[in-house]
Amino acid sequence: MTFATQIDKQQVQALLEALEQDDRSQASHLLDELTKIREGELHQQLRVLTQNLHQTLDDLDLDTPILLHAKHDLPDITERLRYVIDETQTASEKTLGSAENALSFLEQLESILSEGMTEESRKDGKPLIEQCSSELTNIMLAQSYQDLTGQVLNRVILIVTALEESLRELIQRSKHEFHAIPDKHVDEMQRKQQEAHGVGPNVTAKSKQDAVESQDDVDDLLDDLGI
Amino acid sequence: MQINRDMNILVVDDFSTMRRIVKNLLKELGFSKFDEADDGSTAWPMVQSGKYDFIVSDWNMPQMTGIDLLRHVRADENLKDTPFLLITAEAKRSQILEAAQAGVDGYIVKPFTAATLNEKIQKIFARVAERQSS
Repeated sequence: MTFATQIDKQQVQALLEALEQDDRSQASHLLDELTKIREGELHQQLRVLTQNLHQTLDDLDLDTPILLHAKHDLPDITERLRYVIDETQTASEKTLGSAENALSFLEQLESILSEGMTEESRKDGKPLIEQCSSELTNIMLAQSYQDLTGQVLNRVILIVTALEESLRELIQRSKHEFHAIPDKHVDEMQRKQQEAHGVGPNVTAKSKQDAVESQDDVDDLLDDLGI
Repeated sequence: MQINRDMNILVVDDFSTMRRIVKNLLKELGFSKFDEADDGSTAWPMVQSGKYDFIVSDWNMPQMTGIDLLRHVRADENLKDTPFLLITAEAKRSQILEAAQAGVDGYIVKPFTAATLNEKIQKIFARVAERQSS
């Protein structure tokens, strides 16, 4: 959907002339007029857009996919993602607990063996080795979270893809050109603010563009600065 | 070069598992005195006590970021020389340069290895020793 502007060439020319002649009050007056026209246009555009959206929503049947998604799948997604966070946290804690125990058993074994290999040390060492091996098995078992969370995440991907499809359809039904939606623009200041707060791991192809690939890249970068 | 393994280390990260991993790795490297903080804002009053010889911090935390904590440390006359290592998933070139400008002593991107941590600590304290002897 496009809107013709009501601003005409003469008005812009008059503004340019006023600016060239350094007639500030005239320039400011003309600029106000142009802004007024533009604001009026924006309001009109908004009105049309809202009407369209209302109409589109009115036209939707209650079993339209987007409505079903909104009611059933979206809350579902949040629940599923929370499950993934909980499961990974639990698995991580189990793994760390077992690894810490195993390290401590090895430490005890090391101190027993440092006194030489005797019948006594053999007897004391054996249960430590058994406990250590049981902790390693626990670590292995804790990795089963990957299967469970993988399944849940795959399901989330399916729902999000379907939702994206429905939204696209909704946009088209409200008579908008999907490809005419402008690119998301982040200005320098916003980018800096986001980066200062932290943007997390650079997962998407786009976010990888300005990111280092490895610790070696970081080291090279800092080397150049003498750090 | 001998590093003082008795030094007091502050580990700052909002994820408890990450704090645990870092602490375990430091333990493996022979260090034994750690405290933990879950955000820059809780770390800063602890740092101000003057207790810590080394700060290891994450960048992205809810209240006060690691880079802000670093700036606070560098701006304080009594604390400004405290060695500061960032361990973070933030990997934009501009962010690494930002950290360098703020005066970071080492920068490790997650996920990382025990060898990388060891190497950075060696490097940081070699430079501290150099600074003290000069």
